[in-house]
Amino acid sequence: MATANTVNGRIERARTELSPTQMAAGALFIAALGFTLLFVQDPLVHDSLHNFRHAAGIACH
Amino acid sequence: MFAQYLTRGVKAGLVAGLVFGLFMAVVANPLVAYADELNHATVEESGHSHEAESAHSHESEGTHSHESEGTHSHGSGDSHAGEGGGHHDTAVSMAVTKAVSVAAGGLWGVVLGGAFFGVAFFFLEPAIPGPDAAKSYLMGLAGFITVSGAPWLVLPPAAPGAEQSLSVATRLPLYAGMMLAGALACLSAGYAYTRLRESSGLPAAIVGAVVPFSLLAALAVVAPENAVHGALSPTLETGLTGLFAFGQVLLWLVLAAAHAWFRLSSESESESAIPTAGRDSAPAAD
Repeated sequence: MATANTVNGRIERARTELSPTQMAAGALFIAALGFTLLFVQDPLVHDSLHNFRHAAGIACH
Repeated sequence: MFAQYLTRGVKAGLVAGLVFGLFMAVVANPLVAYADELNHATVEESGHSHEAESAHSHESEGTHSHESEGTHSHGSGDSHAGEGGGHHDTAVSMAVTKAVSVAAGGLWGVVLGGAFFGVAFFFLEPAIPGPDAAKSYLMGLAGFITVSGAPWLVLPPAAPGAEQSLSVATRLPLYAGMMLAGALACLSAGYAYTRLRESSGLPAAIVGAVVPFSLLAALAVVAPENAVHGALSPTLETGLTGLFAFGQVLLWLVLAAAHAWFRLSSESESESAIPTAGRDSAPAAD
């Protein structure tokens, strides 16, 4: 194994294993998910998650 | 290797998602619906349902969905009060809410499994102290503290219909800030433990790991206080809060257990895929 079993080693490993395109795609996907959850929260989505938000302890009211 | 870690995390997430989705369907959904009915009945009895509800949704819905929800509650308030009972102001029916909430419970498990046990575990595994199976449970503990435990020190799970003194505009950044503080506390506790274990022995390492969590608790004490006032009986509210907290603990426990189990099964299948170097020695944090 080329890289040591440390956190830095893991970061290095991810860098060599994943192509820049893969990383960019992953980052974009996460950004899209985050954006959806944060800003596309219209009443329809927000209200239909009402029970879940209470069960998860993330409740507005 | 990264793909294997991500797959294992998502698989653990699927198991936990199934359990939590089931919890949503058979426990949380009926209870929240019942609590909403109780709230509604109480509000109607006190004879100011319309004012209370529209004020409520204005204040507590805050930034997101503020305007549309506000207008919606104005429109439906009169007819709603006349119907008697049922769900409080909402844009969707209770059946849709229940179905979406169950699905969200399942996805919640998958998201947490992928993010914490897939991505974060891949990078942090060498720095997490303890034997292999214990690492999964420590990751679960850290995940719970980050996502729920730390923010709940300031904003515990609220029972349905409870009014809170802080506005949503205040509570959202507060919740996010406490999540960040929780993550930092877990990371620095792990770092301090590993470092002190090498240099000063186990007792010092344990003290070093406790310090960040004490700081987290101190932070929660100085954070703005959120007074919660609800129409439900305090005993029921305490029970609901406890149940929802228990649900999240259960979720993380299943995540960690499934993750530890999938590690074992994948190890027996493909021994070569997992690095073995430096496993039994305490790994360095960097």
